[in-house]
Amino acid sequence: MISMRNVSKKYVAGKPPALADVNVEIEQGEFVFLVGHSGSGKSTFIKLLQREILPSTGQIIVAGQDVNKLKHWKVPYLRRNIGCVFQDFKLLPNKTSYENVAFALEVIGRSKHVIRTQVPEVLRLVGLEDKMNSYPDELSGGEQQRVSIARAFVNRPPILLADEPTGNLDPATSLGIMSLFSRINKTGTTVLVATHDREMVDSMRRRVIALEGGRIIRDQSRGVYGYGD
Amino acid sequence: MAMAINVGYFIKESFVSFRRNWVMSLGAVITIYLSLLLVGASVGTSMLVNQVVRSVEEKVTIRIFIADGAAAEDVQALQDALSADERVKSIRYVSKEEALSEFKESMAESPEIVEQLEVNPLPASLDLELNNPSDVQAVVDDIKANETFLKICDRPDDPEKSLKYGQQVVNQLFTFTRILRVVMAVFIVMLGVISLIFINNAIRLAIYARRKEIGIMRLVGASNWFIRTPFLMEGVIQSLIGAVLAIGSLAIVQLYALPKISEAMPFLPLSLSGGSSVQIALILVVGGIIIGLIGSGLALRRYLKV
Repeated sequence: MISMRNVSKKYVAGKPPALADVNVEIEQGEFVFLVGHSGSGKSTFIKLLQREILPSTGQIIVAGQDVNKLKHWKVPYLRRNIGCVFQDFKLLPNKTSYENVAFALEVIGRSKHVIRTQVPEVLRLVGLEDKMNSYPDELSGGEQQRVSIARAFVNRPPILLADEPTGNLDPATSLGIMSLFSRINKTGTTVLVATHDREMVDSMRRRVIALEGGRIIRDQSRGVYGYGD
Repeated sequence: MAMAINVGYFIKESFVSFRRNWVMSLGAVITIYLSLLLVGASVGTSMLVNQVVRSVEEKVTIRIFIADGAAAEDVQALQDALSADERVKSIRYVSKEEALSEFKESMAESPEIVEQLEVNPLPASLDLELNNPSDVQAVVDDIKANETFLKICDRPDDPEKSLKYGQQVVNQLFTFTRILRVVMAVFIVMLGVISLIFINNAIRLAIYARRKEIGIMRLVGASNWFIRTPFLMEGVIQSLIGAVLAIGSLAIVQLYALPKISEAMPFLPLSLSGGSSVQIALILVVGGIIIGLIGSGLALRRYLKV
């Protein structure tokens, strides 16, 4: 589902690269944690998968498409295969939960019929069927993150990327979010979570890829956050 | 089905955005209105001036002044020679007495000037009307070469002065319209540039106001044209409002002001046909759409990286 071969990314010539010679294979249906300090290359890793940026060298294949060779106008169609969740939720404050999720379908041209059936369904999946008409400022942080997960997943993308999804949430709420990711993963969706959250990673016992200084220092199939870091 | 939904979405988004930065949008609408008003006024004016020129041209006559002592058969010979010319439509002999009575008519407001005349100073003349106004110069040249004309003309020392024709007037009118067109074109270009700047700014603000939505649209994979279209439509809507206002203003001028001016100057044909008005309206609408598309397109290129 995701494949990186000898990928390096250098932002400024003369400085050390943000990612150096990274090789990763992630199969369909896997659940993967991406861990590492700030500046270890996690954000670059995620941006490369979304094709926000292109690698300096190496090949990246996402959902069967070689992102280097992807034509500019086709990038949006690649992104429809990747649901994204962020630390700051990125919800529109003037839209209700329902409207925020519906917006993601509207702007890729889905019909009203599809929107009316899929949006309530995905909101039920994340446990917000009672808060469909609430605005983001009426929701707790955990609830807002559930809305943003619903938005990322409503189009049933094969890949879900989460960048520090629990960075703003307390441990109990984080646990709920993580079990939601597990549920989504069980539907066959590949889930990649970049995080600092040591306890979470340790308790989930999933595949862990650890980055440091732009290099992969560890890739364990049932891993923990790590001892030294 | 999907297309129908999208069109509704774009129109809704454009108007929401219009309401959100109405100050900038109003600025854009006003500048487009003014520039299109000038475009319409100048196109209309040059259409009118062309009509006036044409009507003046139609009235172009050549008048040959004849010396008082000229022999009647020489005058008749010249008249016959000119009648034979295919380019001449009609020819009329105006005697000294007729010339004087015409002069009296034109001076009816101050008859004392005419009464003071002891002798009739006006020469007799031959008045020619031509089939085609553009032949005036050629016919004049032929007359100047005619020996009978040289014999009987009023001023044998300077035959040129014995001929009077309206070509100069027509030429002056043409020069005037040329200058008018250049001045209008300069104004239109200037206002066009200002309109582009205003639309550019209005769309830039609209993009800024919606940067969060745009970010999310990119995130979930909205296609580039889907993100751009509402902004393009906003620019076009602003231009179309400007165009409609300009067309309305020009229609008011045509319906209420032009008839008044015509009353004051009945000798000028100051009214445009319905066809010309439709033509001007079309020019304004198309021009407005082009300005709107270019203005918002430039803003999108500079401020919206998709």
